[in-house]
Amino acid sequence: MPPLTSPPRPVRDRSPLTRAADTPARFEPSGRARQGSLKGRTYWRSLDELADSPEFRAHLEREFPNLAPHLTPATRRTFLKLMGASLALAGATACRWPAELIVPYARRPPGRTPGVSVSYATAFELGGVGTGVLATSFDGRPIKIEGNELHPFSRGATDALAQASVLELYDPDRSTRVVQRVATDGRMIEMNRSWEEFAAWAGQHFGTLKSRAGAGLRVLSGATSSPTFADVRARFLKVFPQAKWFEYEPLSRDNERIGTAMAFGKPHRPQLRFDQAERVVCFDCDFLLTHPASVRYMRDFASRRARVDHDQTLNRLYVIESTYSLTGANADERYAVRSSDIPALLCHLAAELGRQGVTIPPAIASFEAPPGAAPPRYLAEMAVDLAAHQGRSIIAVGPRQSPDAHAVAALLNEALGNVGKTVHYTAEPDPQRPTHLDAIGALAVDLHDATPRTLIILGGNPAYDAPADLAFDALLARHTVVHLSLYRNETSQHCTWHLPAAHYLEAWGDCCAWDGTLSLVQPLIDPLYNGRAPIELLTLLAGDELTRGYELVRRTFKAQFTGGGDFEAAWRRGLHDGLVPDTAWPLQTPSTNADWAAIASRIKGTVSPPARASLGGGAPNADTYEIVFAQDHKLYDGRFANNGWLQELPDPITKLTWDNAALISTADAARLRVRQDDKIEITVGDRRLSLPVYVLPGHAPGSLTLPLGYGRPHAGIVAQGSGFDVYKLRTAARWHVATGAKVRRAGGTYRLSTTQDHHTIDSDVGREETKVRVPELLREGTLEEFKRDPKFAAKRAHALPLIQLFGDHEFRDKPKWAMTVDLNRCTGCSACVLACQAENNIPVVGKEEVLRGREMHWMRIDRYFSGDPRQADDVHISQQPMLCQQCENAPCEQVCPVGATLHDQEGLNVMVYNRCIGTRYCSNNCPWKVRRFNWFYNHYGPKHPRSKATGTPPYPGTLPQTEITPIEMMVHNPNVTVRTRGVMEKCTYCIQRIEAAKIKARNDGRPVRDGEIVTACQQVCPAEALLFGDLNDAGSRIARLYPNERSYFMLETLNARPRTRYLARIRNPLHDAGGTQEQGHAPQHVGGGAEPGRTG
Amino acid sequence: MAVMVGEIDNTWDDPRRRAPLVTGNLDFAGVTETVCRVTETPVRQTPRAWTIAFSISSTLLLILLLMIAYLFFTGVGVWGLNNPVGWGFDITNFVFWVGIGHAGTLISAILYLFRQRWRTGINRFAEAMTIFAVICALMFPGIHVGRIWFIYYMFPLPNQMGMWPQFRSPLLWDVFAVGTYFAVSLMFWYVGMIPDLATLRDRAKTQARKIIYGLLAVGWNGSARHWHRFERAYLLLAALCTPLVLSVHSVVSFDFAVSMLPGWHTTIFPPYFVAGAIFGGFAMVLFLAVPARAYFGLKHLITLRHIENMNKILLATGMIVGYAYLMEFFIAWYSANAVELFMFKTRAMGPFAWAYWTMVTCNVIVPQIFWSKRMRNNMLVTFLVAVLVNVGMWFERFVIIVSSLAQDFTPAAWDSYRPTWVEILTLAGSFGLFFTLFLLFCRFLPMVAMAEVKVIMPQPHGGHREGS
Repeated sequence: MPPLTSPPRPVRDRSPLTRAADTPARFEPSGRARQGSLKGRTYWRSLDELADSPEFRAHLEREFPNLAPHLTPATRRTFLKLMGASLALAGATACRWPAELIVPYARRPPGRTPGVSVSYATAFELGGVGTGVLATSFDGRPIKIEGNELHPFSRGATDALAQASVLELYDPDRSTRVVQRVATDGRMIEMNRSWEEFAAWAGQHFGTLKSRAGAGLRVLSGATSSPTFADVRARFLKVFPQAKWFEYEPLSRDNERIGTAMAFGKPHRPQLRFDQAERVVCFDCDFLLTHPASVRYMRDFASRRARVDHDQTLNRLYVIESTYSLTGANADERYAVRSSDIPALLCHLAAELGRQGVTIPPAIASFEAPPGAAPPRYLAEMAVDLAAHQGRSIIAVGPRQSPDAHAVAALLNEALGNVGKTVHYTAEPDPQRPTHLDAIGALAVDLHDATPRTLIILGGNPAYDAPADLAFDALLARHTVVHLSLYRNETSQHCTWHLPAAHYLEAWGDCCAWDGTLSLVQPLIDPLYNGRAPIELLTLLAGDELTRGYELVRRTFKAQFTGGGDFEAAWRRGLHDGLVPDTAWPLQTPSTNADWAAIASRIKGTVSPPARASLGGGAPNADTYEIVFAQDHKLYDGRFANNGWLQELPDPITKLTWDNAALISTADAARLRVRQDDKIEITVGDRRLSLPVYVLPGHAPGSLTLPLGYGRPHAGIVAQGSGFDVYKLRTAARWHVATGAKVRRAGGTYRLSTTQDHHTIDSDVGREETKVRVPELLREGTLEEFKRDPKFAAKRAHALPLIQLFGDHEFRDKPKWAMTVDLNRCTGCSACVLACQAENNIPVVGKEEVLRGREMHWMRIDRYFSGDPRQADDVHISQQPMLCQQCENAPCEQVCPVGATLHDQEGLNVMVYNRCIGTRYCSNNCPWKVRRFNWFYNHYGPKHPRSKATGTPPYPGTLPQTEITPIEMMVHNPNVTVRTRGVMEKCTYCIQRIEAAKIKARNDGRPVRDGEIVTACQQVCPAEALLFGDLNDAGSRIARLYPNERSYFMLETLNARPRTRYLARIRNPLHDAGGTQEQGHAPQHVGGGAEPGRTG
Repeated sequence: MAVMVGEIDNTWDDPRRRAPLVTGNLDFAGVTETVCRVTETPVRQTPRAWTIAFSISSTLLLILLLMIAYLFFTGVGVWGLNNPVGWGFDITNFVFWVGIGHAGTLISAILYLFRQRWRTGINRFAEAMTIFAVICALMFPGIHVGRIWFIYYMFPLPNQMGMWPQFRSPLLWDVFAVGTYFAVSLMFWYVGMIPDLATLRDRAKTQARKIIYGLLAVGWNGSARHWHRFERAYLLLAALCTPLVLSVHSVVSFDFAVSMLPGWHTTIFPPYFVAGAIFGGFAMVLFLAVPARAYFGLKHLITLRHIENMNKILLATGMIVGYAYLMEFFIAWYSANAVELFMFKTRAMGPFAWAYWTMVTCNVIVPQIFWSKRMRNNMLVTFLVAVLVNVGMWFERFVIIVSSLAQDFTPAAWDSYRPTWVEILTLAGSFGLFFTLFLLFCRFLPMVAMAEVKVIMPQPHGGHREGS
């Protein structure tokens, strides 16, 4: 066994994260219009009520991973020992790490205070792109992921997936043991093995293979940017020269690679500068959420957006897409078209640009619409706008689009003079690599061969996510397959050997960011479940002289360390900073040279008669639809299916939890006569799938979007019964978009659990009221409106004299904490929701409870639609983060009979969990409804999601989990009480962080500095939409932002005096009438004389 | 049940002649016999109807206990409540039962002070009904909290941490108001019963009865001094009870009126709740009295006139409640408070419209039948109206609580509410508790205040003491 990882290097005592020294770690759960005056946008929430029939839960036969293994190292004490040992020896040398030297924590290692958290820089890699993160470790347990401020693609922020990775680390369903499947009496029996037994088998098996130069050896790996991995792979292939290597990811940006290769000769990766772009046109490109560089892109985009306060200028974001993406929700102009029509629209735009005097190759410039269709008018307007902003615009195309579309985008960016200004390129690494789709296809052909092969699968889950027509799982049966993965997933069921993999927080490694910046991945904890990293397995099999991840990463680092200077110092700095400076790939300005005529004709070929609707040719063919396979906002390709945090995170657009659904336009829903929850049957070729629909206003008619990653039978207990496997429809030929699909109503319903509008039986009165009320709650204006009256937002609601009966409380000599939420920056990505969950030990409640309306998130993102749902182009999404407003006149405080919620001297509305008896009166009286009640023991007990797993006893997973397992406990933040059942809870502005900073400041004998306290939601926010600080500190950022012209208090007339202040959103529509005409995208002033005294 | 054969009509209103309040030519001994006979029936001769009723109600009581056990062991989540709708059946039931508890004290205390002598026939079991209803009511705020084991935080108990309840909270006022009401009502009921308990003691034939009724009668020997003190104490307690009748439901209404939730935050609530409580309470008295007088042969004591009088009160309070419903709408419109106006619109036309219109039908429209004297004197109609009014009054509380919570200020947080089987069985079980207690009362305690009834009977030397 690899005894221990080598010592991680602490980054620095990041003060906002440092825990209070005198706070003991605790693990136990709480010890004890009216229509008349409304001219503009109309707002509404959902299309129809949910059906009442009991939901159908798929009972899937599965094998339960053993819940029992409360591994010995899983107690805190043992961790302290282990980590203590590692740290005690940190100063020694950095080579081999003898296992015997596990010593008790007799002497405190230098630089380490028990109970004080330390952050380590590491990196989170997904789909071959790494993002720098800081992992906060508490007494040896990583408990929270933060962004790495030094990292160019994090800048201190992260996305929801990285946030949730820490829960994955402690998932009890993770693979815990080596398993061999042996044929006995014609049946396959699973035998528990040890790594030693595997090594013995491998020595023999791979010894034979080595003698045959690796003939018949195949390796399948996921995409990775790790130089160490590349090095190990090269060495492995040296030992097994005949071996073949395949790289496969179900979600990739291969089309971009091919497209740029067509345009430039070699594959290139666009590096976009959204902070400098005045006009952005996205064709099916969700750069704000699903792009690998989305954290950085969102920050850049938001910072450009925020300039409206300084110079009253705003960029303009056009989005043309089939489904509603987060980018679409933030667009100033959004047009819904079928995904397969987008390449043609790009060409039309090019043609329009040509008419505006932009140099476009004649083959593209002469692009004509198919007979009977005319390009939509907005393209001409867009072209005028773009032509006026040459060199300051971006054309971005999403990964689902064809290579041709990417090539045309490259052309347009070049023609508009954006290259080198807003659009840069870097060469794609590994340019010769076949596409992932080709690779998996080639492997399947290879495995189809009768000769038995030895296949090593490193991570990945091809049995689930490979193209359905390959029938990959069946192929595996005849070969010797060694599978290394985090979970015993669908693929593991068909493998000879299953080996547990180490989580990235348990293993050494490295990876490159979107721009090539190298980051080192350092472990924070010894492998919990005996897992090993892929590089370690490969070296074991190849008989490399080094087998430890630490040594391997250092070896690669040393090989790359060509410059002068001290290697050890550079290594340490790399570990400390989480990145190696100046390792980004050089920016290039390639020029396009492609066969544009061929591209144009291919694109023309894609515009089939039924697709003409988007091009202005009338209604789409009612019989055939296009199916778009989409990356799920939460589960990615399905690999995070067993992550409760992600499963329960409301989808930013649909607010769905725990399930996927076919996203369908209102027009198609009407045509198919289906409503939300009704099941439909989709037929693509000879493949069929029935799943429920979610009617998404703003979705392009004639198109259905199916999010991938659900319906996994062997993902784990959490993922059981969650969603529908749409990979079953995804074949190699219809990889991104499947056209010609038949859809019919299947009959029957399936209850989808949404966190908003959940089974609200909507009434006309409710809908009418929402229209009137939302413009006051969530204030939006257009740029012209803002220019005319910067304080327009404050005037949206009728001002009333707000009298205080007893005078204002003055917070003299005390901080006055407050928060601002800048709706103009906020994109609604929901990373904050997850960060809050991770920071504050917020439980996962499961689908049943979400259906009952009992989700526990302290933060929610309220999402409202506006516009005419029948006109997909007209539907807009507005979002508003909602969290405790920390009212000075808190309505909740006055009604609590036991004084469990009170005001502290700094103006925080605090919750005393120990005192709460759970009358729920506070929640009833909260106008924002931001309080959450623990209806059950949410961390364990019979109603715990883990206890409610479907199945037949006596599998362990089906018995009530009557206590929280030590493993699950490890993810908890010891500075936040784990609330018991029957207790009310809510956002506290991260009081534990406030207190930690105050203690530190007091120890240093100084006041708390502005920016020293960062709330969890603020810290994670890539858009920097949230700001926390002290209003009594005149120099603080919040004190300056609070009186901003756009600012307003929500429900101010209630006189609750919230501390959280919102900043109105400004949109920049093409036809900006300044909010006086119908075209305005912002709600109109509804307070007006017609409704005097609209109060609460 | 229904209309009894041989019913003596004493409902005339002839100013020259007072209608008798006790019919059937009963003399004092007859009254004693009529009332005591019920309690003295040997166990083996227990009326079959009682046994059946008791077995049903005690089964329901058992279900209640099981539901509470399930609730305690699993969590409040076994109910269908959710994030916006923090209160549902639990507080609906609480307010419903507190309301039921009103009529008893009104009949016994206020009517006593106003010298409404007709009260004597019904006051005893109206009071008993109060006690049992308040027991049912008190149970709900107790069990609805998240952490029942810390319920004592609600009480102002001295403790080393110097922590006190939060006195600004209406929930705390509830604890005091309902607690006081229960204590005083219990005392009033018991004190009023002492002379009758002594009668039972004196008539007792078995040792057990002698001991039990002897203890309960606290040494009453009917001396003039005892009677003097009894009358004084009773008057004082009546005076004490009277403000409580008004205060309890006013305080209960503060739970809603003091909050800022649209639909709750209404100044009309205290009088509206009190009127509603009297309305509901009288309906419950009728609901109990109509079968009781039939089964236990009390029709000469609880006469047609009693029933008619109560029906008149039902008609009057029903119209007060109807006025309150209208006034809520008017104020919502007149105040130009859009959130408030929406709340009332959504009540009448939104997802809970069915509950709202059930409430209006049962509480406002149905009692109008009592404009007809024939209907007032029809026992079947009276019984049905009483049932419907109880249903209506339950829905009134449901509508107020749930519809207001489900759709308040922030549309994104709106949700609905659907009770679970646990809540439905708990509601049924609370009736089980009520009827179990009531049936035990009927069987073992004097159902009619014998001593008081005798006062209003024509007496040999009483001059013109015919009726009152």
